[in-house]
Amino acid sequence: MSLSVDYIARETASNLWRNRLITFAAVLTVAVSLSLVGAAMLLRQGVANATVQWQHGVDVIVWFDPAANGAPQPVQHAIAHELLALPYVRSCIYRSQSFDLAEAHRILAADEAQALTTGTTPASERCALNNPNEAQAIWQQFRGQPGVQSVFYPGQAIRNMEDVTHVLQWVFLVVAVVLLVSASVLIVNTIRLAIFARRREVAVMKLVGATNWFIRVPFMFEGLAQGLMGAVLAAIAVLALHWRLDVLASANRQSVWHQMRMSTPDVVVTTLAVLAVGVLVGSLGSTLAIRRFLTTDRISA
Amino acid sequence: MIRFENVTKAYKGGTVALREVSLEIDKGEFVFLVGPSGSGKTTCLRLLLREETPDSGNIWVAGREVGHLSHWRIPYLRRNVGCVFQDFRLLPNKTVFENIAFALEVIGRPRHVIATQVPQVLDLVGLAKKRDNLPGELSGGEQQRVAVARAFVNRPLVLLADEPTGNLDPATSQGIMRLLDRINRTGTTVIVATHDQGIVDQMRRRVIELDQGNLVRDQARGLYGYGTATAEQPSSRAAE
Ligand SMILES: Nc1ncnc2c1ncn2[C@@H]1O[C@H](COP(=O)(O)OP(=O)(O)OP(=O)(O)O)[C@@H](O)[C@H]1O
Ligand SMILES: [Mg+2]
Repeated sequence: MSLSVDYIARETASNLWRNRLITFAAVLTVAVSLSLVGAAMLLRQGVANATVQWQHGVDVIVWFDPAANGAPQPVQHAIAHELLALPYVRSCIYRSQSFDLAEAHRILAADEAQALTTGTTPASERCALNNPNEAQAIWQQFRGQPGVQSVFYPGQAIRNMEDVTHVLQWVFLVVAVVLLVSASVLIVNTIRLAIFARRREVAVMKLVGATNWFIRVPFMFEGLAQGLMGAVLAAIAVLALHWRLDVLASANRQSVWHQMRMSTPDVVVTTLAVLAVGVLVGSLGSTLAIRRFLTTDRISA
Repeated sequence: MIRFENVTKAYKGGTVALREVSLEIDKGEFVFLVGPSGSGKTTCLRLLLREETPDSGNIWVAGREVGHLSHWRIPYLRRNVGCVFQDFRLLPNKTVFENIAFALEVIGRPRHVIATQVPQVLDLVGLAKKRDNLPGELSGGEQQRVAVARAFVNRPLVLLADEPTGNLDPATSQGIMRLLDRINRTGTTVIVATHDQGIVDQMRRRVIELDQGNLVRDQARGLYGYGTATAEQPSSRAAE
């Protein structure tokens, strides 16, 4: 049987308009909760990005000048020796230029990274310190030395950020889940009202032999539309947040924002996840309402 | 066309609405279903629409057993069984035309079918001039004509009417019955549950009488009242 797109669109739109106030509440709740979900996901990815190179106890990274790559490496050896000679340096690992180009791109400032190709990716010396607070001293001593491109250390800021975002993430997620539950309840309620408002039509539809599918689809779409509208708002919020963080990151290359810088795939995945959860919540709400409030066999309204 | 085989139906709470009822109605028959209030007339019609299921026995409509019909088939049964009620059940915010068109629209009939069928059936019920009026602007008799048109527009095999004249004065009631008679002449089987003695006695059609869920009379060309007509032989009941 044909279920015209025209009919569904018309029915869904008129239902949404009839219940516009409560629809608005449901959409807003979905939007806020999914914005929190999205923000939590972005934060998580940012922190993961910011901390990936500081794992395994690495406290400071000295990037060698890529111009020296492939050339005789006495300068690099000398620097490595110098580093190890310092009393607060526990150990150092040498990473060759074959090390992931992408990581260098992310860590180095844009103008430094621009010229990089696989061949010119800088090698680095990564050191663990007895006392991480001495990282700044290494930065002081080695930056600008011949053969050194730059020196990076996480600093207290990143460590603090890690702690704060960890807590924040969980708070966001818990609040988001609570809000998602209320969003579902609101959607169930809007659909229930829509079914009630249209009980006469529904009774006639059953009487003349409309299929259950035909009767249900407009209500299904109504819930779906609410979830999706909320999700689109949330996706816009996620993109705005990402844009804002990007501005902060470009403004100061030494900032934590720069360290957290998210890749396009990160943001795309987050946006898609937000949209998917919105659709899910919408269809879940309408399915529950239809199961509960739209009896099938009985004709009487 | 329709056959009840030892149908028993009890509602929750224990009311036995039908007790071992067996009857057979052929294609194109016109049947009155009579009996005192609570005797089980509406229950019969609801079983035929598969709004209720029998506790025991079988019900056949157009060659299909409907007492145990799977859920997804119910709509297709109802496309073959039109029904009108005492309270019309029209949609108040749709015009006469839209009310009738709605019945075709929601079963997925294409627009050109709607555009030809609806005016046809409006002519049949004599409401072509009122096609753009709302139900609230019509008399009770006119509203019932719209309801009949809606039930008939998809050309069902069977048309059920549950006290279709219950809200109408005698003259208007006769008009509705003439309309049902005209529909019956197109070959549609018509079953009318009614308390309207004047109509039953006037039309002299087959009468099936229920009393407390029991089939107590089945008479061709019968009258409304108890045993008032004895001249005729009971019809299909005797054949079983
Ligand atoms: N949904 C229901 N739940 C419980 N009992 C019911 C239900 N519907 C009908 N009954 C009972 O079943 C019996 C038959 O009811 P039914 O509606 O079939 O009678 P009827 O012949 O149509 O009566 P009336 O002439 O008043 O319309 C009555 O005793 C009624 O109270
Ligand atoms: Mg009744």
